[in-house]
Amino acid sequence: MADTPIPLEVRNITKRFGDAEVLKGLSLKAQKGDVITLIGASGSGKSTFLRCMNLLEQPDEGDVIVHGEEIRFKQTKHGREPADWKQVVRMRAKLSMVFQSFNLWAHMTLLENVIEAPIHVLGKPRKEAIVHARQLLDRVGLGEHADYYPAQMSGGQQQRGAIARALAMDPEVMLFDEPTSALDPELVGDVLKVMRDLAEEGRTMIVVTHEMAFARDVSSQVIYLHQGRVEEAGPPDEVLGNPRSERLKQFLAPKH
Amino acid sequence: MIDLHGYGPRLAEGALVTIELAVLSLVLAVVLGLLTASAKMSRNWLAHRIGTLYTTVIRGVPDLVLMMLMFFGGQIGINMVTDQFYERFGWDVFININEFVAGVVTIGLIFGAYMGETFRGAFLAVDSGQIEAGRAYGMNHWLVFRRIRFPQMMRHAIPGLSNNWMVLLKTTALVSVIGLTDMVRVATEASKATREPFTFMIIVAAVYLLIATVSEWGFARLQKRYDVGYREAD
Repeated sequence: MADTPIPLEVRNITKRFGDAEVLKGLSLKAQKGDVITLIGASGSGKSTFLRCMNLLEQPDEGDVIVHGEEIRFKQTKHGREPADWKQVVRMRAKLSMVFQSFNLWAHMTLLENVIEAPIHVLGKPRKEAIVHARQLLDRVGLGEHADYYPAQMSGGQQQRGAIARALAMDPEVMLFDEPTSALDPELVGDVLKVMRDLAEEGRTMIVVTHEMAFARDVSSQVIYLHQGRVEEAGPPDEVLGNPRSERLKQFLAPKH
Repeated sequence: MIDLHGYGPRLAEGALVTIELAVLSLVLAVVLGLLTASAKMSRNWLAHRIGTLYTTVIRGVPDLVLMMLMFFGGQIGINMVTDQFYERFGWDVFININEFVAGVVTIGLIFGAYMGETFRGAFLAVDSGQIEAGRAYGMNHWLVFRRIRFPQMMRHAIPGLSNNWMVLLKTTALVSVIGLTDMVRVATEASKATREPFTFMIIVAAVYLLIATVSEWGFARLQKRYDVGYREAD
């Protein structure tokens, strides 16, 4: 096991939007089976940090290493960009993202959404992709909804569908960007349950969330960000059970 | 029964020319429109400028003027080049601009500019999250375009596309001024010879209307196809 590459490592990520520095040298290492939750107030940079990991945002400084392969960058007049987009495409196929607003492709049925990238990006045979997709849809409780279009489903169903789409890639790491923030309260539970199951079966996950119960119960590591810096990090009992900084205490205090 | 004084077959041929001209111009206009939209949305400074120059010039000059400029002006330009060949190298070449090709190129160029704006608006209407999802799942630019951007863009583009097509269809009538024997030209000749302009023009009007009606039905079907998945959302 010693020579198995680390699924995802990022080092000293810095990101500026204009003059505002939103990420100030953030690092993170996800070992196989880790569930790392990123918490923090709005504007703390947690979503931007997550989006730098699959290069939906280009970090101005820092390294991204996926499964032992370091992404190469070059300077252009538009700023720092990956030197080889083919490399980026290859690494993104190993990281699946689940978005806050689901982003299931609206012109495709749920089943088509789930088989799309496996067929066109991974080159999987269509029949095989369909068999796998149906299993995944059953698993997230949407076996009956394969032929529905996203617009015909509730937010919770769409997000569970999006998780099935992510699983269909057999990803090294799953990235969750506030997966329950856009959901009605009564629909949050179903999505969290699916995510808990994934954590239990040993999936490597990085989760940006406001669900403190989820962070406490499921994560192996919690990172609290404040204004683009890591304020506290560690096992959930420590960070959430015994916060040191005044800011984190306030952040965790029950809101009314 | 209407007496066509033997002009029936020629009118039918003219109608065919009109349809061929319109369809080929449409194909060229769609291709140019997609290129123009991409150029205008590009962050490449030069591509952006060229796209803007093209749409500004074409949309700012009357179609008829452009057509004569390209056909007669184009012939003079080509002659100047071939004259040079003769003087310098002794090659005796003569290239005559074909009216049909000139018509397709001119109409295609004119409507490419309008299509460009239609497509640009439609591309901008696609939710950025849809494209981001494609990129996040390892799709390259071309795959994102083919599988996500294009099909989702078309839904927004079809009303404008269908509008442009109707105007394009009627613009083909202008090619009679450069000597192409389309339906309008045949009808004009026939009117003069028979002194029955009403008979021939009403037929021409009816044929245009028929083509327009059929295409409206076609566009409605196309719209339905690209609306799949959205009907419940709207």
